Amino acid sequence: MAAHSIRTVAAVAAAFLAAPLAAQVDLGTEEQRAAGKIVYDKYCGQCHGDTGDGNGYATPRVQPKPRDFTTGKYKFRTTPNGMLPTDDDLRRVIEIGAPYTSMPGWPNLTSAEIDNVIYYIKFFSPDFENPDRYGEPIDIPRPLESTEESIARGRVVYEEQGCAACHGEVGRGDGPSAPTLVDDAGDHIKAADLTQRWTYRGGPTKEDIYRTFSTGLNGTPMPSYADSLEVEDRQHLVNYVYSLGDGDDPGYGTLITAVYSEEALDLQDAEALDALFENTPMTRFPLVGQITEPGRNFYPSVTSIEAQAVYNRDEIAFRVSWHDLRADNTGRNNPSLEVPMWNEDNGIGGDDGGDDDGGFFGVEEDSGNDGDFFGVEEEEPQDDAGFFGVETADDSGDDFFGTDDDFFGGGDTGGDGAEFSDAVALQFPASLAPEDKPQLKPYFLFGDSQNPVDLWFVNLTYGVADTFRGRGSDAIEPTEADIVEAVTSYDQGKWTVTYKRRRASRAGVSFAEEQYTPVAFSVWDGFNRERGNKRALSSWFYVYTEPSVEQTATIPVLRAAFLVLVIELLVVFLVRRRAGQDAAGKNTGGEAITATEAPAV
Amino acid sequence: MDGFNLPVLLALVAVAGLLVWRRANTLTWLLFSWGALWAFFKYGFTVPIPQSVATIYLGITTLALVCFASSSRQRLAEVTSPIVRLIREPRYKLPLAALLVALPALAAYNVYADMNVPLEAPGFGREVHPSPNPTITVHGETIDMATADNPYTHLHEDDPEAYEEHLENGRRVYYENCFWCHGDGMGGDGMFAHGLNPVPSNFNDSGTLPILQSSFVHWRIALGGPGLPEGGTPWDSAMPAWEKFLTTEEMWDVNLFIYDFNGFEPRALGQH
Repeated sequence: MAAHSIRTVAAVAAAFLAAPLAAQVDLGTEEQRAAGKIVYDKYCGQCHGDTGDGNGYATPRVQPKPRDFTTGKYKFRTTPNGMLPTDDDLRRVIEIGAPYTSMPGWPNLTSAEIDNVIYYIKFFSPDFENPDRYGEPIDIPRPLESTEESIARGRVVYEEQGCAACHGEVGRGDGPSAPTLVDDAGDHIKAADLTQRWTYRGGPTKEDIYRTFSTGLNGTPMPSYADSLEVEDRQHLVNYVYSLGDGDDPGYGTLITAVYSEEALDLQDAEALDALFENTPMTRFPLVGQITEPGRNFYPSVTSIEAQAVYNRDEIAFRVSWHDLRADNTGRNNPSLEVPMWNEDNGIGGDDGGDDDGGFFGVEEDSGNDGDFFGVEEEEPQDDAGFFGVETADDSGDDFFGTDDDFFGGGDTGGDGAEFSDAVALQFPASLAPEDKPQLKPYFLFGDSQNPVDLWFVNLTYGVADTFRGRGSDAIEPTEADIVEAVTSYDQGKWTVTYKRRRASRAGVSFAEEQYTPVAFSVWDGFNRERGNKRALSSWFYVYTEPSVEQTATIPVLRAAFLVLVIELLVVFLVRRRAGQDAAGKNTGGEAITATEAPAV
Repeated sequence: MDGFNLPVLLALVAVAGLLVWRRANTLTWLLFSWGALWAFFKYGFTVPIPQSVATIYLGITTLALVCFASSSRQRLAEVTSPIVRLIREPRYKLPLAALLVALPALAAYNVYADMNVPLEAPGFGREVHPSPNPTITVHGETIDMATADNPYTHLHEDDPEAYEEHLENGRRVYYENCFWCHGDGMGGDGMFAHGLNPVPSNFNDSGTLPILQSSFVHWRIALGGPGLPEGGTPWDSAMPAWEKFLTTEEMWDVNLFIYDFNGFEPRALGQH
């Protein structure tokens, strides 16, 4: 514990020496850090490493990598580029996490626990003892109203600043540089898909967006525009970026409604087809990595897929679309392509411990060289094109990827096309569940021996649909019982695949009206070396074939009202008749009401 | 009063008080009882109860009220006489006409509402903790579910150091394999959980780990979704059969770890 007290003394000394900023150096008390260590060891160390070096048990299998606290570099800050985050910045990420990464929010931690763990985390990097590394948080102005003019001006800024180089022309994270982006650790990092606000790592609000390009994401290619853009232009840019998204929430659904159309379903007539699907309800489904069977995919590229369906008298058409940073349409792929056993494929052996060997404060030595790091990489006012160009030329295809990690092995980052192509599959049960067991379905991972599935697979190198029958991941065979047609297109980061088949099937499931048919999806991103069982997939959902004749509520509603009315009148009639009889029978009774007194209604 | 919607309960009590004060007649009390129960089932709980359960209770209530009303001639007369008066007496002409219109309208509205529920995927019940077979086979070894226990639990007393090693190994296994679905904090809310149906088990829940024997948990870990009986919808579960990936020791270690992390003990052997 000697190192510990020396550092405390150093911190205190530093605090006294740097008078003007001294207030910002707050590393807590020894007790607070000790309390923080307990929280950290239980909840944080498994990813961020017991020594804070970002190298925990989970690290080899997650992307983006857990923060290495010894570097003092933080993405989500209110402070200027290259500076340390404020305690509130750290608190924010601990409380709500970073969406669609392996960093969850920790709502169960108390405020005091978070305070303590922040003190403990800061202690991993000597930067927090250096008053020069602290910066005043930026002012985040109230967002401007999203007027058309503001959005238009934002679009101009977007173009002028070259945002499209990474984020793509319409913001789908598919810019020409997107495949080559790496962070300081040399790992590939995705440019945000600006159209899917719910996946923004730093949060979906206008304030979050403003903060992100005003402070940059330290350690990533995302620069700060604080020096190159006036506040107002940044606000317009916020409005433009915000306008690209379609909601804070993905609104995931569980059902595709297949609507009836009189039109012919002609896959070759793209215009008519687009018009048809324009008016068809769309459902978005979540996709996650296939991690149940060998060939596991811990960080799938694609996190959602949108689906629609239309049918006419004889045929049914499905349209699916998803975002992909690059069209990989030269490689090979199919659902039964072999993937190495998961632990080889994902760069971790069974005995890789990452054990707490070097003593807790051993990190000091490693983090000594942080100063130059910042000097070189971060403080440049970045001019996008040049900046990215330099980075990528040096880094892609180099040794970071080579080792034992399959994520970006070989030439997939090179740009000449990947070894594996992008692909997609719809999955249906080969037959509907028997009536006495309506819940029965085939195993959602390519079926099982008793209950097979049919796959409508499209390798986007060829753009045609191949049909497979799956009886489990290791028993997938081509089948030609039904002809499934497909057309594909890739436009601005978005794949669209439209399928068509006859509604009646010879060997598989037929799509009758008013029928719920289970459906599941798989997407392969060749860039991410996804193939075979290494894929993004969904659980079972349903397609409902809406009745071709619209059912109106008028007749059942009138029927119900009429029935109730008849019963009422009957009761009234009977009661009154009875009263009349009573009156007639007991003519002497004073209280009885005579029949003539009871008026007709 | 956790789980109850207090304002609704208070409102019902208030109405009952009003009825007592106004000396309401038997029919009013019957209608109130039925209506109050309906409101209680529909709005009285913070977490809604299943419609089918509410329907059963309301059915029983209806029967009970009918029995009560017809239990004596006098009571029957008490209940029916206001209705008869409403139908017969000329001064109630207007209310009667209103009722004759209102009831069919209500029925019509109900039918309309029923026909316009947004479409939903069909849902099916599923056994959350289905019974295992008396014995299971893991890595070719037969395990008796009634007597099997975690072989490392006893180290807690006998060899704390070795126990800690097993826990740490379990921690490694968990964060290399499990947290994507079951979550970093084990709340069943990992980064892939939103894409799975059924959702992954929440180990923080005191209704999960503590009610299960460690042999049950071992069964679920080792044989996963494919090892479930039909009632557990094995075709939907994303739980891998971990015997394909892990050694028996690793599976018992992670079993030990998830109990320890949440501060729970497995249900003891022989406890039913």
